[in-house]
Amino acid sequence: MTASSPAPLAVSALGVSKSYGPVAALADVNLTIKPGEIVCLLGPNGSGKTTLIRLLAGFLSPSAGSLQVAGFDVQRQPMLARQCTGYAPESAPVYRHMRVGEFLAFMARLRQVPAREVKAAVDRVAEQLALTDKLQAPLPTLSRGYRQRVCIAQALVHSPKLLILDEPSNGLDPRQIIEMRHLIRSLAGHYTVLMSSHILSEVAKTADRVVVLLGGRLKGERRVSADDTDLEDWFLSLA
Amino acid sequence: MSAFLVLTRKELSAALLSPIAYTVAAVFLLVLGYTFSLSLFATKVANLQYIFHQIYVLSILLTPVLTMRAFAEERRADTLELLLTAPVAEVWIVLSKYVSLLAVMLVIYALSGVYAGVLAWVGEPDWGPILVGYGSLALLASLLVAIGVLASSLTENQVIAAALSMGLFLMLWFADSVAPLLPGPLEPLALNLSLIGHFKPLVTGSVFLSDAMYFISGSLLALWLASRRLADR
Repeated sequence: MTASSPAPLAVSALGVSKSYGPVAALADVNLTIKPGEIVCLLGPNGSGKTTLIRLLAGFLSPSAGSLQVAGFDVQRQPMLARQCTGYAPESAPVYRHMRVGEFLAFMARLRQVPAREVKAAVDRVAEQLALTDKLQAPLPTLSRGYRQRVCIAQALVHSPKLLILDEPSNGLDPRQIIEMRHLIRSLAGHYTVLMSSHILSEVAKTADRVVVLLGGRLKGERRVSADDTDLEDWFLSLA
Repeated sequence: MSAFLVLTRKELSAALLSPIAYTVAAVFLLVLGYTFSLSLFATKVANLQYIFHQIYVLSILLTPVLTMRAFAEERRADTLELLLTAPVAEVWIVLSKYVSLLAVMLVIYALSGVYAGVLAWVGEPDWGPILVGYGSLALLASLLVAIGVLASSLTENQVIAAALSMGLFLMLWFADSVAPLLPGPLEPLALNLSLIGHFKPLVTGSVFLSDAMYFISGSLLALWLASRRLADR
């Protein structure tokens, strides 16, 4: 790539399908995301949001189509694509025998952060996600909200180009949902964010663009803002 | 390679912080101490042949308890998603679990060395067969742990993983008993698959390359299958 060539798309999905036996979870999905955008996948449970996210994160392989993250093919260059991706699954999984700082350092090393930079990387994400005073806390003692933060921190610890958040507000109380929204907005400009949600009001306040998935198909997309008034009508017209 | 070391360190710390390894070691040494005392006082012979066979049986019973969590727990807790979306090849994830669990098994075996110490205290044991016996046990542990890791990679239920590996161990153990009932070409195949058929010569001091290769190739096959299982998604 030359200095004058444009930066690659953060995400490029072309004709992506995923089937589990006879059941099609995703069918012919096309999606592009520019660097720095916050894009939200919107749709009811079972619409294919998590499947698309897992395909981009490299956890699943597509039945058809091609996926690229930061210009790297997720299937043919999996290690390079994963190096550019930070992924926080919906259930906010953590290793329960570890402390917060230990877990973040483990994930940093696993994601090939050089040994001498691990501590700085952990301190950086801990500050970014207001976890500094929790670094010594055993993971099983954390509330759901803090566990969600830790899971996002592990996804950011290697400074990825693309941050993927699967239902980041799931299981949080109203106050934690507001905090999570502010947190994601604070990442705007630093990272490209692809998140999923089925809460319409949250989407408008968090994302720059919404992509609607229904029955495994991409039904529509539009730009949104916090004062968007007809998002609900638009969504219902698609459904 | 560095990812392998990072993962192995994580696996070892998880094993050391879990009560499972300590429980398995305690049960192992308790049963072994009981049978060692009986055999020593009954035979008054300073060797560990009987103990090695006891370890063989105990390994078949207890290895599934150690290995059942390997991948089943990662699947249940969704942490497998973190591992498989990190820039790490599946083979390193499998090898890190195998190496750390094998290390735990070998430490438990090494603790039984206290009985060799007792023999040296009360008599004059022949150290050659004892060292060969421990080498044979290391090969046995390698195969059992590899099969246990494979079984754990197939399910998110730890009990199913343990039952599956125990079933595979027992089928391999009794393969030579079933052999005469099988038709034509299957009979030598079953005989060659026999776990006890390859372990007994080794542990009694008859070291054949074919027996060692049975354990080594079986371990490699099980680990390769576990890697394929993780990659197939």
